Amino acid sequence: MKKSHLYLVGLAASLAMAGTATQALADDEITRGQLMAASCKACHNAAAADDGVPELNRIPAEVIESQMKAFRDGDRDATIMDRHAKGYTDEEIESMAGYFSRF
Amino acid sequence: MHDFNRRNFLKVAGISSAAALTGIGCAANGMRGAEKAHIVVVGGGSGGATTAKYIKQFSPDMRVTLIEPNATYYTCYGSNWVIGGFAGMDDIAQGYDTLRDEYGIEIIEDRVTAVDADARSVRLSGGDRVSYDKLVMSPGIDFRYDDMPGISESDAERIPHAWKAGSQTELLRSQLQDMPNGGVFVMVAPPNPFRCPPGPYERVSLVANYFKQEKPRSKIIILDPKDGFSKQGLFEEGWAEHYGDMIEWRAGSSGGRAEEIDVSNMTVLADSGFERVRADVLNFIPAQRAGQIAHDVGLTNDEGWVPVDQLTFKSEMDDNIYVLGDASVAGAMPKSGHSANNQGKIVAAAIVRQLAGQEPINPSSANTCYSLVTPDYAVSVAAVYQYQDGAMAGVSGAGGVSPSGASTSFRRREAEYTRAWYNGITSDIWG
Ligand SMILES: Cc1cc2nc3c(=O)[nH]c(=O)nc-3n(C[C@H](O)[C@H](O)[C@H](O)COP(=O)(O)OP(=O)(O)OC[C@H]3O[C@@H](n4cnc5c(N)ncnc54)[C@H](O)[C@@H]3O)c2cc1C
Repeated sequence: MKKSHLYLVGLAASLAMAGTATQALADDEITRGQLMAASCKACHNAAAADDGVPELNRIPAEVIESQMKAFRDGDRDATIMDRHAKGYTDEEIESMAGYFSRF
Repeated sequence: MHDFNRRNFLKVAGISSAAALTGIGCAANGMRGAEKAHIVVVGGGSGGATTAKYIKQFSPDMRVTLIEPNATYYTCYGSNWVIGGFAGMDDIAQGYDTLRDEYGIEIIEDRVTAVDADARSVRLSGGDRVSYDKLVMSPGIDFRYDDMPGISESDAERIPHAWKAGSQTELLRSQLQDMPNGGVFVMVAPPNPFRCPPGPYERVSLVANYFKQEKPRSKIIILDPKDGFSKQGLFEEGWAEHYGDMIEWRAGSSGGRAEEIDVSNMTVLADSGFERVRADVLNFIPAQRAGQIAHDVGLTNDEGWVPVDQLTFKSEMDDNIYVLGDASVAGAMPKSGHSANNQGKIVAAAIVRQLAGQEPINPSSANTCYSLVTPDYAVSVAAVYQYQDGAMAGVSGAGGVSPSGASTSFRRREAEYTRAWYNGITSDIWG
């Protein structure tokens, strides 16, 4: 399947979800949360998954949110995610979490 | 605009007023207009290829053309692994088939020689013109050989920089292989700002790893114009642990500043001529500036880099030209492949939104740079950036370097993540 088709499938799946992500997609507008999620894709994608870096589009938004907060607040051990997670507020984490399935 | 030189300023003033008169044809037409717009991207490296791909992800119907002279792009990331002898050139080779076949990006294998900003077109080396609605440039770096007496660009065939990957990487590798046990490898490190701040120090680490195995009586000297460097404490901790006193780093204020290179004698003059350092293999990494095409178009400042509106990476000189990656002035963001990749997404979003008549998003982005000290021992630096007071600034409290004194298993895990990072980011850019 072409990647652009996958993209549309992802888009449809995202549209089916509730919350701000749906709102933004309905307006067909790239949001800040989406741009933040895109930045994570540098490391978190299928090609790195074999090396133990989780592919985030397979993970439910609530899990991404809770784990990012745990990394940030020192409740989960990490090599590097603690340093990244400290860069985001609750709101920012919530705004990006729903977007991974869209890519 | 105070720091542009006069010639460039005049050129730019001409460009901007003409652009203002012409107007931007499809700006206010919303998504329909945006979908028909033609975006031309110059440079298929970390920044350019990411921008092209993400424009297609964000807005699949937009027409995107990527212009790059080389059919194969060798990543600088991983090139130190090749120099250290535990990876091959194939491992760092990337191509454009997926971008063309799966994303519908038009690939032109050619070099851009000029930009006519008034007509909104670029000229290719063969003379053809390609017109654009928006132009994105990520041309990387070029070198300032003029800053170092005694050496010129043509000497790179004998004294490699290996700071653009490809034949230079192979040349440095083969020189190290030919060097006798007991030889001296000298690196002349570049002044700030330069591409990949930890890169020179990762390189000497992996050369030391090769020497330790194959040529243990050899020595490494880094002549540095700077008094400190990225992840210094962690590198020095790793060097002491793995390489004893094989690596000697000389700081700028302690005689490390190279003043001249005597090419025929493979000797570096430093410390007001008091030091003459002879090398068996010499790696001179020159001072740097934005890629030549950015200068030719008149987009650079007096320091040789491209100032941009860091909210969108739009050139301060021309409303239809975006410049990102190493060539740009990007606030606190280092000149890295990870930065260029993240900036590519900011540019893609900015262009798609602008063509749809929407305001720019306040961008947030990140950087991660892993460095191998040995193939099984890595250290990292990370940061999160946000646009604040006109520049990309590090979010306070976030980021930083790996802990010092960490366990062997921690360093090993970071070495595994180094390879994961390579596989991930190259797939995000070209895959
Ligand atoms: C030894 C070393 C190790 C590194 N390791 C890391 C690392 O571990 N992590 C990391 O994040 N970064 C690393 N980097 C840095 C990284 O390689 C660069 O920062 C990154 O590639 C910059 O991307 P760019 O798009 O600005 O330039 P480039 O990737 O250099 O791309 C520029 C492209 O533009 C093309 N081009 C130039 N002029 C023209 C023209 N006129 N017309 C058409 N095309 C043109 C070039 O052919 C080139 O393909 C390393 C660098 C070095 C040297």
